[in-house]
Amino acid sequence: MKNFFQNKRKVRGFKEFLYILPFLALVAVFSYYPLYGWVYAFFDYKPPFPLSINQFAGLKWFKSMVDNPVKTMQILKVLRNTFAMSGLSLLFSWFPMIFAVFLNEIKCVPFKKFVQTVTTLPNFISWVLVYSIAYCLLNSTGVVNSVLMNLGVIDTPQLFLQSSSHVWFKMWLWLTWKNAGWSAIMYIAAITGIDEELNEAARVDGASRMQIIWNITIPSILPTYFVLVMLSLANFLSNGMEQYFVFENAFNKESIEVLDLYVYNLAMGSGGYSLSTAISILKSVVSVLLLCCTNGISKLIRGEGFI
Amino acid sequence: MKSKKVLSMLLASAMLAGMLTGCGNTPAPDTSAGAQPESVQADGAKEEAPAESKQEDAGSDTASGSDKELLSLEVYDVAANYQGIQTGWFDKVVKDRFNLELNIIAPQVAGDAVFQTRASTGNLGDILILEGADFADCVSAGLVKDISAEIGNYPNLMTYEDQIKTFNEGLPGNEAGITYGIPAQMTNTSPTAYSQDVIYSSPLLRWDLYSELGCPEIKDLDGLLDVLEQMMKAHPTNESGDPAYPFSLWADWDGGDGMLGIANVVQLTTWYGEKIKGSAILKPDNTFIPLTDKAGTYYKILKFLNDAQVRGLVDPDSGTQDWNAACAKMSAGQVYLMWYSWQVGFWNSQDRLKAGNAFIYTPVADQLYYVDSDTYYGSGRVFAVGSQVDDEKYARIMEFLDWYASPEGLTFEHNGIEGFNYTVGDDGKFTLINDNALMDNLPVPEEYGGAGYQDGNNAINQWIVDAISTNPNTGEPYSCQYWSTYKEATMTDMKREWQEKFDAEEPVDYMKKNDLLVVSPNVSVTLPSDSSDISVIRNQCNEALCDYSWRMIFAKDDAEFDSMWDEMCTQMDGFGFQELYNFDVEKFQIELDVKLEAMK
Repeated sequence: MKNFFQNKRKVRGFKEFLYILPFLALVAVFSYYPLYGWVYAFFDYKPPFPLSINQFAGLKWFKSMVDNPVKTMQILKVLRNTFAMSGLSLLFSWFPMIFAVFLNEIKCVPFKKFVQTVTTLPNFISWVLVYSIAYCLLNSTGVVNSVLMNLGVIDTPQLFLQSSSHVWFKMWLWLTWKNAGWSAIMYIAAITGIDEELNEAARVDGASRMQIIWNITIPSILPTYFVLVMLSLANFLSNGMEQYFVFENAFNKESIEVLDLYVYNLAMGSGGYSLSTAISILKSVVSVLLLCCTNGISKLIRGEGFI
Repeated sequence: MKSKKVLSMLLASAMLAGMLTGCGNTPAPDTSAGAQPESVQADGAKEEAPAESKQEDAGSDTASGSDKELLSLEVYDVAANYQGIQTGWFDKVVKDRFNLELNIIAPQVAGDAVFQTRASTGNLGDILILEGADFADCVSAGLVKDISAEIGNYPNLMTYEDQIKTFNEGLPGNEAGITYGIPAQMTNTSPTAYSQDVIYSSPLLRWDLYSELGCPEIKDLDGLLDVLEQMMKAHPTNESGDPAYPFSLWADWDGGDGMLGIANVVQLTTWYGEKIKGSAILKPDNTFIPLTDKAGTYYKILKFLNDAQVRGLVDPDSGTQDWNAACAKMSAGQVYLMWYSWQVGFWNSQDRLKAGNAFIYTPVADQLYYVDSDTYYGSGRVFAVGSQVDDEKYARIMEFLDWYASPEGLTFEHNGIEGFNYTVGDDGKFTLINDNALMDNLPVPEEYGGAGYQDGNNAINQWIVDAISTNPNTGEPYSCQYWSTYKEATMTDMKREWQEKFDAEEPVDYMKKNDLLVVSPNVSVTLPSDSSDISVIRNQCNEALCDYSWRMIFAKDDAEFDSMWDEMCTQMDGFGFQELYNFDVEKFQIELDVKLEAMK
């Protein structure tokens, strides 16, 4: 003990450990302790009774997911929706980057600020409000239908919210409307970090605006883009449920029910806690696998991983 | 360097404090500040409370609450659709008498998960209002206090001793007859009588529109659609020019009330003498058939709504709007068919009754109505006391519950405030005033607690005694619709025309006269709750059923409708519908046997 206090390096190391201790505690409490809840997947849990060993059910709930073709189809359908919608946002993940690049090219500062504010603002509106806006715009007597009918484009109101076609794409549009401005902030920051000398040199060499964008701006912010893509890959299965929850109805459910929403509907509908825990365990496992895969791919392509 | 150290120390300690407060148990209720934004109003009223309460104490024999310190009670309440501290006039009523503050915990607002999390801490709340099956589980899990020893001291509760005793003795595993719960909505009438003037669900049409068509006789559901179609043709919009439809449906109540399926269909199945019990349909001959049987009323009513949709009688927003949106249309006169007896409250007013454009029951010749009789033994929900309350709190809870079941308490719950909602005549009879207080959230005078009437309305939203019970002080039921003064005031030309045409005083008289009522007696049985397997099956089947039902209502033609129905049955079978049906038949057979016994 005496040695420990005499050894300055060790004392310093210990102090530094104390600095990060609160954060470790935070991670332990909010990220590791909840994993204890996984035990519910192995029991026949029914509130208000506390868990007891008599209710131990083994892998029953995992097996019940694929009991018969109907249940398997259900899981596959939910997975398909999850992959489709996450895939779509991944496919268009360059959109905020390009948006940031073009925004940066606007020379009129007030207009630039205006565009940036207007596109960032929707990020702070909750999905519930977004849906009420959507409802007001798109219901049978809403603005869109009234305008179209007055113009004589249609003669009966169109049920936009009730339609089951192009659900994935429409959801992506809403998501982009809400998030694009916000996601662009990161890229705008990266763009400001580009050495001005590079741009000046290019201009002296006679590069056009497009050439500067193509050869300087985009390559400089690509690393940021890749990190964000990798992170979103790890979150591939958790595309959140609020958006789909508010837009969900009996008509578009086939294409809108994603994994998180399915788990919620199952658990909150009438206490299918064990089964929904089992599903979310599977989700975590698959997410970890996805993370490892993308890390491996990243190592292969860029020569370095990100974990 | 030093400042960094200080900063990091500060941050670390702040985080630690945050974590500790986050993980700790809720502080004892009487020390909590109750810092809810809504309570600001109540605080304002509290300042002048002492003077007020003295005045009232002089006139009432209830013990004054002002000598006791303020106590906050957690009310775990499945009936509430407001979560938070009770405010406004009802808060003042309770504070003046008991100095209690009611903190409502509403699973309808917070989500069912609140039941699971609170149950796992072993303390559900101080006062519990639970569904019957959950209540039995909570008793076996030790969450409910044994109140046998004390309940005898409370005269108002003991008025219903017979019902309370029958209920508790029927609890599974309670052979000793320990008293745990007090059934909700008991009556002082009889378990086989039907005392109301209207039934819960029946076709209600606008009298002006119906008489404009010459009051044609309606043979069956197709005839009803014909009439509605003519109404819509004659009046495609309401007075302010917004499109009106006979039907405006809503999707957010589906799967409730212990019945599988969409709310707008299940409530109409009683028009043909059938009643949905979980996944089964109880037929008038006391047999069960599966809900998915094409001969059952679920199919029949769903087809009826689909026919209406094909004819263009259904509001196109029906599948995507919620109750609030649909209700706004009802209040604006954009809907021509209603069915819930309480639903007319969003349109009928004394003025409209006088003008003759109110909703009233219109007979359809081939119908036979299923009704549950007066809830003599209770509606199924139960009042109880949480097992974790200490002795002092326990005494004050029981005092409160006793008042809650007393004529004085019931008058506040069912009728509101004297001088604001009703006046008392020389003969002691009540007369209704401000009958739009709830509908329009009328401002309540400061002396009664201020704020809007609806804002300050009793948030518990559940009564120990039903409104159809007789008020011993007036000799009339609590419900204002049965007051002699109200009947006199609403005896309008419209009502007289209706009585003449159908040769009956009230809708129920007509049904009784023509033998159109299947009255199911009220019994006290506690049915087994779902196992975790059954609840998953129930949930998945219900979701499939509701989703397909909505799509079937919007099906283009009969062929599409039927192919969807078959597809739905296959899917539900895959989720285990047969197992669920067997479970439900076994469960409700217990209840049916007791009912048949009671009818003998």
